Amino acid sequence: MSVKAFELVPAVERDLLMGDKARINIECIECCGKRLYVGTNDCFIHHFLLDEVTSSKGKLSYSAQKKLQKYLGLKKPVAELRAASALERLIVLCDGILFLVDMETLETVPSAAGGGAKIRGVTAFCINENPVNVDPFCVEMGILSSKRRTVQIYMVYEDRVQLVKEVTTPEQPCALSVDGYFLCLALATQYMILNYSTGAFQDLFPYNSEERRPIVKRISREEFLLAAPGGLGMFANAEGVSQRAPVNWSESVIGAAVCFPYVVALDESFITIHSMLDQQLKQTLSFRDGHILQDFEGKVILASTKAVYVLVPLPLERQIQDLLASHRVEEALTLTEGAQKNIPKDKFQILHKRILQQAGFIHFGQLQFLEAKELFRKGQLDVRELISLYPLLLPASSSFTRCHPPLHEFADLNHLAQGDQEKVLRCKKFLISYLGEVRSTEVANGCKEDVDTALLKLYAEQDHDSLLDLLASDNFCQLADSVPWLEKYHKYFALGLLYHCNGQDSAALQLWIQVVDGDLQDSTRSDLYEYIVDFLCSCSNVDLVWKYANWALQKDPNIGIHIFTKRPISKYQPHLKADDVITYLGKHGNALLLYLEHLVLERRLQKEKFHTHLAVLYLERVLLLLTESPTDEEKLTKAREKLQAMLRESNLYRVQFLLGKMENCEQLLLERATVLGKLEEHDKALHILVHELKDFASAEAFCIWASSCRESSYRQQLFHLLLGVYLDGNLPGNSQTAGGGGNGDLKMAAVDLLNRHGEVFDAARVLRMLPGDWSLQLLRPFLGRAVRASMHACRTSQIALGLAHSENLQLLHDRLKERKKPIFVSEKKGCHLCHNTFSEPDVVSLPGGIPVHTHCVAQRVKDSPTKRQLTNSSNHT
Amino acid sequence: MPEVSKMKKPDVKVVLLGDMNVGKTSLLHRYTERKFKDTISTVGGAFFLKQWGPYNISIWDTAGREQFHGLGSMYCRGAAAVILTYDVTNWQSLAELEERFLSLTDTANHDCIYAVVGNKADLTDPKAHLSQDLDGVSQDQTECEEDRTEPQVLSACPTPPASPASLSGMILHKQVTHEDALALYGRILRYKGLEEKSSLPAEKMCFETSAKTGYNVDTLFETLFDLVLPSILRKRNENQESPTVDLEECRVASGKRTKSTCC
Repeated sequence: MSVKAFELVPAVERDLLMGDKARINIECIECCGKRLYVGTNDCFIHHFLLDEVTSSKGKLSYSAQKKLQKYLGLKKPVAELRAASALERLIVLCDGILFLVDMETLETVPSAAGGGAKIRGVTAFCINENPVNVDPFCVEMGILSSKRRTVQIYMVYEDRVQLVKEVTTPEQPCALSVDGYFLCLALATQYMILNYSTGAFQDLFPYNSEERRPIVKRISREEFLLAAPGGLGMFANAEGVSQRAPVNWSESVIGAAVCFPYVVALDESFITIHSMLDQQLKQTLSFRDGHILQDFEGKVILASTKAVYVLVPLPLERQIQDLLASHRVEEALTLTEGAQKNIPKDKFQILHKRILQQAGFIHFGQLQFLEAKELFRKGQLDVRELISLYPLLLPASSSFTRCHPPLHEFADLNHLAQGDQEKVLRCKKFLISYLGEVRSTEVANGCKEDVDTALLKLYAEQDHDSLLDLLASDNFCQLADSVPWLEKYHKYFALGLLYHCNGQDSAALQLWIQVVDGDLQDSTRSDLYEYIVDFLCSCSNVDLVWKYANWALQKDPNIGIHIFTKRPISKYQPHLKADDVITYLGKHGNALLLYLEHLVLERRLQKEKFHTHLAVLYLERVLLLLTESPTDEEKLTKAREKLQAMLRESNLYRVQFLLGKMENCEQLLLERATVLGKLEEHDKALHILVHELKDFASAEAFCIWASSCRESSYRQQLFHLLLGVYLDGNLPGNSQTAGGGGNGDLKMAAVDLLNRHGEVFDAARVLRMLPGDWSLQLLRPFLGRAVRASMHACRTSQIALGLAHSENLQLLHDRLKERKKPIFVSEKKGCHLCHNTFSEPDVVSLPGGIPVHTHCVAQRVKDSPTKRQLTNSSNHT
Repeated sequence: MPEVSKMKKPDVKVVLLGDMNVGKTSLLHRYTERKFKDTISTVGGAFFLKQWGPYNISIWDTAGREQFHGLGSMYCRGAAAVILTYDVTNWQSLAELEERFLSLTDTANHDCIYAVVGNKADLTDPKAHLSQDLDGVSQDQTECEEDRTEPQVLSACPTPPASPASLSGMILHKQVTHEDALALYGRILRYKGLEEKSSLPAEKMCFETSAKTGYNVDTLFETLFDLVLPSILRKRNENQESPTVDLEECRVASGKRTKSTCC
């Protein structure tokens, strides 16, 4: 199907023009506003008034009313008519004579000089529509003369014509057109451009004017349309360059005109219409006996030998719609964009957008999604137009209605796909990618809810991974509309997220818990339980935390407790009071322990209550394990280690309370010793360790631990205490009670202690304590170290003393240097007291640095009643 | 070619010349639409507007038929580059370039550059089967076997297009060697009265291409576009120096002057 760009409308019927006179033919026409002039072969000019009539259906027709007809009296056909409306003159060419007649009366205009304004021997002429002359009451005209190889330029005035220029041509010209200074001429064998001002000419291309009638048609400023060999319509500008590709006419074209964006041409039986935009043939109209085709002020008028017609362009929009209706998208867009210059900007933008959108839907209907997307983007399509094609995707609450007239012919996707599920699927995939792209752009502005809800539905239906991404980010999905959809596809996790987005965390949690408990099926997340814990952990609604923590703790206290222990501490999160949590966790023993460990060991809260509580829990656990039989040794060891560590490390728990708790348990001696150590009842503790546990290593470790943060004398004291305990058991009095082997052990322990930690002890004190019967050999390491240590200390202190002494001297020297200038003593200087010269370096300096003899001073001191003065202020050098 | 409709003023013109059926239209198609498809004998001429960076380059595809020969010099008027195309399997097509088409380039710019291009290289050279522009080549390999036969159907074509041998994928005899093309390039320079030393070297300006596989097609056009850039810049400069007074320019100039005087 071609475009219907034009319609042929009759203007002057045969009856009106010539009645039944068969031999009369139309030779030429001219139209100027409403005035239509027709020249005939019997030398008549007919003058009609042409009125446009638009019927109620919008159909255009013409009614012609004959005003006048005038016989020119030359018995020859009227060859050409041209109106000079500013002058109210009609320029007539008849029988090789060019003359002027009045436009109204058709009377020949008498020349100002008398006799009439006539030019003889004229074969063709043309009016310059883009004249260089600016006089509005003067028309510039180019004339071809039959005798000479020349072109003449005339000025036509109201009552005279004036030759202004004559240029010769290489061959006899047979057709011409003029624009500015540029004449476009058809010569016998070629076309050329001639600048009549400079005389410069430019060959265009060869053409045999005898074989085929040449066409030279000015179509715009400095651009001409020419008939070329092979039935081409060639474009050429004044520089002799073709700026548009040629159109392909038939060989026998009679006339041509441009009615943008079309080139209209007439041959013997057809009117052909080509687009200048893509050079394609767009429409062909049958037209018999075609004779004349000319455009007048944008109006294309045709004449057969007997009647006159107007070629009425159809509205651009209708042409475009026709093209779209036949799915000729490219052409429609070309036509739209080509018409940009002829339409007001705002109107064009609206039209252009709409065409782009329609074109997009045509591509969409053919599943050419790439093209469709590009057109939708360019046409700024309301994305809901596209969504609305997919049944049920738009939320029920959406206020959207499709644009009218519709942008496409599809009722919905099923209509488009005709039941082909594969097509439906491809369309859905396209919409997913399209919505995904546009949702964060301005395209979605104003309909974000619709877009996101549609996307959510598609994701859910297509089991798309991005469903969760959509819900995890900021989104505008409509809750009410999405819930049934997500439920339908068992996307409970996603639904929970949606609830969360809508501030309904409680609903989300209930749903998820159902999934974890197996009441609902959704395999989206295998770690949903951990997710819930994380969720509660960062949940800002404290009530929800209290409500659902129970469930989580029951499921797995080790992970469930993360709700409390991993809760981020920030000012935006409501704080959970530790006391409340502890109370809450009362019934979850294990979780409570974990929580207290978190508080005490991780967060290092310095609160007696927590420390005591934790210590008591540890203790209870140990006690519980102890009562079990058979006892799980491994567990017990671990539990005891924890308890011991707690008892050792913490300084805050209530010692007496714990001591009371473990009083009755004989298996927890080590723990009891530690607690006693906390109470600084070191002798009791050591007594337990040494005599009851007989664990000497622990006893030593106890001493080191108990004194770890204290000064060295404290440690020394403890070690002495331990030594004392060892030695006490070793006394002969005690040896009877303690039994044979024990004494030896204690002795060895004491020796080991001394040999290992000799540096801590005060050796002298130790020696006094040791029983006299111990062999020197036994204590050799201790003694050796003790002697060396004391020796070392002695020498070190001597060195320190010496160093301090020298430092003192050095400082004295420095001080003197700072405070005094040197005192010069020489053999030539005299003593101030005796006025004799010095013979020895020993002098006494008086205040002010005055040297005097020592003996003089001594003498003076003896003499002076106030000797203090002198002794205080003198300095030896 | 909807791009044409955007009525942009082309900055520079490139013209494809050559005998009928050497593949001018196919070369342009391959370059602009990335495919090898049916073409019918070009009537008159056609052109394509290529956006090359900030510049618009119009590429004119001319008709090779004798009938339209007279239009050639008009198309060449003001051209910045002319692509003289022949068919590597057809000696006559190379001869025609010299006999008929070279004289058409008289109207081209004085600094016009010339490229000699032997198309249909895929018929004689296995390496031309490997396209250099990888996109969209493989899928139309299959369909182009039939495409190649298409011009035969046209009664309007007097010379046998391509050859039936291509149907079987046989390697055809190469009638025009690369050396022949280099020699022609030398003669073109002599015809233009250009010094060989100061002109672009023949090795650079003689191409063997295949519109069917895309072999060397991008290289051809892009090499030419790069080479015509100076021509574009010069043209723009000339336009700037036009008698039209550019108010903006004056303002800038006067601004500069006042600045310098106050110093």
